[in-house]
Amino acid sequence: MSFKRNVVSILALLVVAAVSTALATEKNAPPSQKIPKGAKVFVAPIEGGYDTYLKEAIAKKKVPVEVVASRDQADYEITGTSESQKASTAKKVILGNWHSREEASITVSNIKSSEVVWAYSVHKEASAHGQRSSAEACAKHLKEAIENQ
Amino acid sequence: MHSRELPRFPVLIALILCLAIYPLPARSSTSQENNSNQDQNKAADTGKPAPGDQAKVSVSNIKSAPTDEGQLATVNNAKIPSYSKVYVGPIAGGFENYIIAGLRNKKVPLTVVIDRSKADYEISGVSDSEKAGWAKMLFIGSQQSNEQASIKISDLKTGAVIFGYSVHKTNSVRGKQSAGEACAKHIKQIVLE
Repeated sequence: MSFKRNVVSILALLVVAAVSTALATEKNAPPSQKIPKGAKVFVAPIEGGYDTYLKEAIAKKKVPVEVVASRDQADYEITGTSESQKASTAKKVILGNWHSREEASITVSNIKSSEVVWAYSVHKEASAHGQRSSAEACAKHLKEAIENQ
Repeated sequence: MHSRELPRFPVLIALILCLAIYPLPARSSTSQENNSNQDQNKAADTGKPAPGDQAKVSVSNIKSAPTDEGQLATVNNAKIPSYSKVYVGPIAGGFENYIIAGLRNKKVPLTVVIDRSKADYEISGVSDSEKAGWAKMLFIGSQQSNEQASIKISDLKTGAVIFGYSVHKTNSVRGKQSAGEACAKHIKQIVLE
């Protein structure tokens, strides 16, 4: 009887150890980090109306996602920040450069799991087409990320 | 006459020697400061405190190490398990987005979440950006901005700050992006792979 008890207790311990190891592994498992083609994406408002440029760029670059108007309908959300600085008089006179300085950073997150699946930041010291250029850079790289999975 | 003029030479020589030697104490004191800094850095690197700093080190567990463009501090050599869930809190100027993009760009094995309640760790901080003025454009011919940022990582369960890093970039080639990537690069150092 005592031998059986020992065997049972050892087996129970082994099961507990295996389960705890599996849970720990699951907790720190690498995320899937994939945006499927045709995923519904909501572009959250970004300061300076940058979300509008982003939506246009997504359409222009033919990014394989569907942009929706409501967050409730979406699987993924694009959030971010952008900053645009017009060329100052000094920049025009001293450097002979009329182009603006653009900076933007966007994040694509899965609404259900709350995980960030993709992020990108762009910096253009002399942007030929202002915010449009930086938005198109973001869209181009998003397209590459979706297609190269 | 000749005997009266003789003492002038030693005086002149002494004067010249004084002038020549005068800057040396200043130099030597500077080098001592550098040496002391190096000693402190060595002490910080090896974990063995300098004799004079034993009391200070025993109070604080923060280990600092200078890097190429910033200052890094870890507490008790803390490490973050790979693919831990990290929440990046809002930072002025949207700098949190640049950190997230930097984490992805530098392939830091962490899972960034947008819900704080689902996270194990939190990244918070401050950032500041200074655009190039006309004087900088005129005299240096540079239109690049100066960037500085400081971040800390805290364990949300214990509330302890386990990591801190501050970066300062003069003439940042890619603006906030560079600062965000510098932060991410140094976060990677404390993530167990």
